[in-house]
Amino acid sequence: MFNLENLTIQRGSRIILSDFKSVIETGSLTIIKGGNGSGKSTLLRAIAGFTPLEKGEIKNNNKNIISYKEEWSQKLIFVDTKNGLSNNLTIIENLKSWASIKGWPTSEENLSKALKSLDLVKYANLFISECSEGLKKRAALARLYFSFISDIDFWILDEPTNELDKPSQQLFEKLILNFLNQQGTVIIASHDLNILEKKYNVIDLDLLKEQSIL
Amino acid sequence: MKLTHLSWTYMFIAHIKRDFLTNSRSLIDLISIIGFMLLIIILFPIGLGPDQEKMSIVSNAIIWIGLILAILPSLDKILQKDFENGWLDQIATTGIPLEIVLLSKGISYWLMVLIPLILSSPLFVILLSIELKYLPWLIVSMSIGGLAISLIGLIGSALILGAKRGNILLPILIIPLMIPILIFGVGINEAVKIGESPFGNLFLLIALALIYLIISPFISALLVRIAIGR
Repeated sequence: MFNLENLTIQRGSRIILSDFKSVIETGSLTIIKGGNGSGKSTLLRAIAGFTPLEKGEIKNNNKNIISYKEEWSQKLIFVDTKNGLSNNLTIIENLKSWASIKGWPTSEENLSKALKSLDLVKYANLFISECSEGLKKRAALARLYFSFISDIDFWILDEPTNELDKPSQQLFEKLILNFLNQQGTVIIASHDLNILEKKYNVIDLDLLKEQSIL
Repeated sequence: MKLTHLSWTYMFIAHIKRDFLTNSRSLIDLISIIGFMLLIIILFPIGLGPDQEKMSIVSNAIIWIGLILAILPSLDKILQKDFENGWLDQIATTGIPLEIVLLSKGISYWLMVLIPLILSSPLFVILLSIELKYLPWLIVSMSIGGLAISLIGLIGSALILGAKRGNILLPILIIPLMIPILIFGVGINEAVKIGESPFGNLFLLIALALIYLIISPFISALLVRIAIGR
């Protein structure tokens, strides 16, 4: 069980979320929806442990993530709109260097399977600077494959499907289903609610704001 | 299948390897830094005129000032690119302390920018008519001072992450920190030139480099955490 308890997040003088509560089931897919500026990305960054909380606690199995931040960060894969890719490296070099700094094995086999998971094999040696936005996103999402050979429990993804074409979306959904089957927890901020036919939970930040106004 | 995480040393090396690879793909940056230093070195003799005596008094200081000025425009890039493309976020989810990663960034910058620049110093020495017998001490002092400068640059680069016009602000913030390095660095070379022992200044320069080696990863990690938390 993953609890978001009375979260208040502030950016400068602006309060992004106030006294926000929610529960996310382990092994489930949760979609955080909301319009621009509703605080989706900020909430994701807070869950990942980047953005400090003004108030409240984020608990994984009743344990505040701040109390074991390093261990917590090792349990998750975070992909946001910035992708975390170097323009000076190829897709495979980016993937390899990322897996290396995570301390995971970067054998040819693992890298090849990761590329295959998002149909990137033929683009492996393409520099990021030469990639389309869709390819960049696929290169960033190819990291998710490493969850199946390591001890990753959480995916935190910000607008992962925005630049993806239909076939890539289907491959991405397949990865999600496989991860859910191994009791992984997926938290996605997205406008696109037709991401999976499978049932998912929704946290609607717009609704929350409307309620607070009323 | 559960995999055990490898040692911090392994990951430290993995970071340096990545930086080597990315920097090797943008050699133009390094060439422009060396070219900029060359221009500074050429401009001074032109400004001072043909008087060799005048030149010999200031030649060591020119090399050190040239070194500092040449690298200033590149210091913000130690972390800026990795911040903008989201790599620092990825680093923050590795579980490896940010301090270790940032230390690797400072060392990478020293190895990939300062050391090639310092190894080009025979050219600068010839242009400034410095006797070649002083070259080994110049290389030693600039290597040690260069490490301290890289680590100061790391702090500066972390300080301006996400700031608009940070590259303009950076020199104003970090040049004062470089003054002691300039004093001790030039002091070593001047002592050698007049036949005195350079070790007093050398030990002070080593002490400064060691202090920055210890404090800069902690200060820059603090600043990076603030930047990625915004």
